[in-house]
Amino acid sequence: MSESKGIELKGKDIVNQLAVMIRTGHFHTLENVAVENAIKRFLEIVNPLFHEEDYIRIDLIGEFFYINDTRIRYPIELLLNFDFLIREFRRRELGTISFVSPLKKEEVKEFLRCFLKAAFSNTPFETLEASLERIDSIQVEKLKQIKEDETIDKRKLVKKTYFNAVSFTRGVINKIRSGEKVSIKKAKRVIESVVDTLLAEESLLIGMTAIKDYDEYTYHHSVNVSILSIAIGQKIGLHRRALTELGLVALFHDIGKMEIPVEVLNKPTAFTEQEWKLVRRHPFWGARTILKLRGFDKTSIQSAIVAFEHHLHYDLSGYPKIRSRIPLDFYTKIVSIADQYDAMTSSRVYSRVPLPPDRALSVMMDRAGSQIDPILFKFFINMVGVYPVGSLVLLDSKEMGLVYECNPLLADRPRVMIIVDERGQRLKKGNVVDLTERDTEGKYLRSIVKTLDPNKYKINLAEYLL
Amino acid sequence: MVFPDEIKNFLQSLIKAKKNLHLYPDNNPIYIKTLDDLYNRLATLLDSQDDITLTFKQFDIFYNSELVYHNDDKQESLALFFFKDGVREISFKKGIPKEEFEDFMKIISSDFERELVDDDVVTLMWEKDFRFIQYVVDDTILLEDEGYEEMATKQVIASASSEDQILKAYEEAFGIQKAPTINIVPLTNEDLRNIVEQIENEPLDKSDKMLILLFEMLYLADGQAEFEEITDLIKSAIKYAVEHGNLKALIHTLKSIKEITDKKLFPEKLLIILKGVEYFCNSQIIIKSFGNVLDQGIEYDEDLIQELSQVMDSSAIPHFVNILGQLNNISSRRTIIRILSELGKKDIKLLARGMSDRRWYVVRNIIYVLRQIKDRTVMEFLTKALYHPDKRVKKEAIRAVGELGDSSAVQNLRDCLDDEDESVRINAVKAMGRIESPLSRKYLLEYINNSRFNEKSFTEKRELLLALSRYRDREVVETLTRMLKKRSLFKKTKLTETKAAAAFALGVMKEKSAYNLLKRFVNDKNTLLRENAQMAIKRLGDV
Ligand SMILES: [Fe+2]
Ligand SMILES: [Fe+2]
Repeated sequence: MSESKGIELKGKDIVNQLAVMIRTGHFHTLENVAVENAIKRFLEIVNPLFHEEDYIRIDLIGEFFYINDTRIRYPIELLLNFDFLIREFRRRELGTISFVSPLKKEEVKEFLRCFLKAAFSNTPFETLEASLERIDSIQVEKLKQIKEDETIDKRKLVKKTYFNAVSFTRGVINKIRSGEKVSIKKAKRVIESVVDTLLAEESLLIGMTAIKDYDEYTYHHSVNVSILSIAIGQKIGLHRRALTELGLVALFHDIGKMEIPVEVLNKPTAFTEQEWKLVRRHPFWGARTILKLRGFDKTSIQSAIVAFEHHLHYDLSGYPKIRSRIPLDFYTKIVSIADQYDAMTSSRVYSRVPLPPDRALSVMMDRAGSQIDPILFKFFINMVGVYPVGSLVLLDSKEMGLVYECNPLLADRPRVMIIVDERGQRLKKGNVVDLTERDTEGKYLRSIVKTLDPNKYKINLAEYLL
Repeated sequence: MVFPDEIKNFLQSLIKAKKNLHLYPDNNPIYIKTLDDLYNRLATLLDSQDDITLTFKQFDIFYNSELVYHNDDKQESLALFFFKDGVREISFKKGIPKEEFEDFMKIISSDFERELVDDDVVTLMWEKDFRFIQYVVDDTILLEDEGYEEMATKQVIASASSEDQILKAYEEAFGIQKAPTINIVPLTNEDLRNIVEQIENEPLDKSDKMLILLFEMLYLADGQAEFEEITDLIKSAIKYAVEHGNLKALIHTLKSIKEITDKKLFPEKLLIILKGVEYFCNSQIIIKSFGNVLDQGIEYDEDLIQELSQVMDSSAIPHFVNILGQLNNISSRRTIIRILSELGKKDIKLLARGMSDRRWYVVRNIIYVLRQIKDRTVMEFLTKALYHPDKRVKKEAIRAVGELGDSSAVQNLRDCLDDEDESVRINAVKAMGRIESPLSRKYLLEYINNSRFNEKSFTEKRELLLALSRYRDREVVETLTRMLKKRSLFKKTKLTETKAAAAFALGVMKEKSAYNLLKRFVNDKNTLLRENAQMAIKRLGDV
């Protein structure tokens, strides 16, 4: 009964060693001892598994590798190698490699030769497939394009998760207002479904966070910050339980705003000094509310810490002013990045003019190291890309569109939903294009030339997602 | 092909197993056997097909749409157990490893009423991320407001951009300046290491951090009412922290209060409120739960314990004394003794009052603490303890008096020489030896000259003569040599023992004049005497 376990455990080693082998192949000739060693090591991992398995199949689906249909989990230390291999697969439009019988050194070497060569072809996958025909033990399949009807189902799921979370948050805040008890069990379940959806459909769910300019901003903001925080947490390798905790904590970071009079909070004009004073108290109120309501346990303490610290900044230059020079809590660092980003890109926080997503990122970039933890921010920006989801962009094809899904490996080549075609016609049902698509000569079909401010024209990605 | 009856039986065993696993720890043979049996049954069922899928109704479980379980008892029903948290389907897949099945069984046999108030069965399964157990959950039980999604969707669409605006954006797009794009710095291995380190350094319990922030909140409080609210939170936080073994939190609190009070950082009436927090930190509740934590086996750094004992108030002393009698582990008692040895200095009289405790071991420990403190002011209490009915206390008291006492204590030690317990007498002899005074000498000599001295055990005689050997005067030497020379036809064995003890003492004294006398016994046929004489000669030779 332990067979399946064996291959599951080895999955990360196989993918990692495959990456090492290819990387080494990039730098050396295939006769080099470093390449030889990498191949040898690869065989040592793969071949013993044929005692128990008939075949070994590695699939790339979305952002994840699967081995014999089980998603491979790996420690964060291997992240760079995994990312590298995803890039190498995508570059060749390669979706699957199957090993159908034990491998010989010469076969792997030949595979490596073909694999490396294919990258220079205009039709890389076909080239690779043809050149591998002589090797019986290794088979490849092309990367699957996402089908339209699949995306519709996915969108439905994502939408459901998102609005369920918003509606739950609204319910919770109303309950707290009226002094009712809040069920943490339920809250956990809601966040767990957010985590699941994020793992399956990261870009779509992050796309939903574009919903901001809206009557119920407070609830959306809470959910958006929770989603973005979980996304960062996932990127840095937090385990499931920690992701739920992070998501919960993020969801309640602004709970203290409940005590700011609504007239002040939703004021269309700038705050007076007196009103600012009130607004600046929300971290204090937040921590107090959480502790008074929930008493003391691990989650409430973590939530209170984040609620209190989320405007404090990495260098403690924010508010409230404190006396101790204590380092910011790890969760606070994550939540405050998500918070700043969501707040800056929406118009409802403190009557500010919202920034377009890419502008918000560049403002945050200037703050990295002072107000923001620089390394976590690096993870964040690698996650959202140069053109975050929701950015309004003009393409060199004279089409205009909204960034729909970012590409973590090619930051300036996201998937874009076209809303105006090259003749200036508005498209009601956006068509999604992938900026990594190339013509037969290997030239990209479309590239981003300019970004516009979507808020200025009240263009919101969310309306296209629903 | 698996028949519904087989599933029925399997479910019955599962329910029995659920009870067993709940009752026994996971290293218990019954636990192990129960789990093994059940796992093997499941594995056998999965031999013939790829998965077994159960569907759940409120009180029923179905397999292939056949009813395989029904129970409408709200406490007992396995169906309801899953159904109420939204589980509608569970399937076990072929190849399920035992570890995964054990995790599953652990989850369903845990006590949901008490232990895990914050997690339901779905959360626990979700956290485990099972690979061979799949489940379908109906999330509508989580919905706050069913119509919300539709309403919100409409609202977003209603506020959607107009065609005019979109086309305006398109038009203007060609005229605007190209904004500089940001450079994305790729992640490095260094970054990954940094993050891994940050994650690994995340403490399990953050109540110390919480307390630092709560103290910050005191400064932000608006008015006395808010100040009081925060101090209440501080108290709860302290209680939580100590229950979770976080001593740093307690230390930080006490230090902060001291600083605030010393520097008068708040008006007097607020300082009084803070005094209440300090009082709470030193209260019985807190010290009791600290004791519980110790007994659970948590160990602390020396330095931390030292720091704690320095910041605590003397009012905590009686509570520490009290738990000293309640703790089960030696190492926890040792920690309390360490604390009292430091904290006790703040009010020795208060500490010494613990000696009237009814429990002998508490009294003995306190005497031990007093010995550590080395403060003579407690002699009065120690002297009293010399007459304690329990000989274990008595001995500890004698040791303490011997270390701390002066000649005034000798009179009381003398009384201990009459004790019927030999070990008490030996301790008293040693203590009298330590307190070198004419009176000690006098009593020791008297004891030797007592007609019953010869009857005592070799050890007692040796200890006594050893104590006496500290006085190197003629009378002592003569007494010892006289003993060594003594001959008798009666009670020969006892006499030989006395002689051996005398030889030993002369050796310790390095008494040259006894050389020839000792020499006589180096070949004695009595082993004890011979060896002691040889040892003494050797000692003399070293001079
Ligand atoms: Fe905030
Ligand atoms: Fe916020």
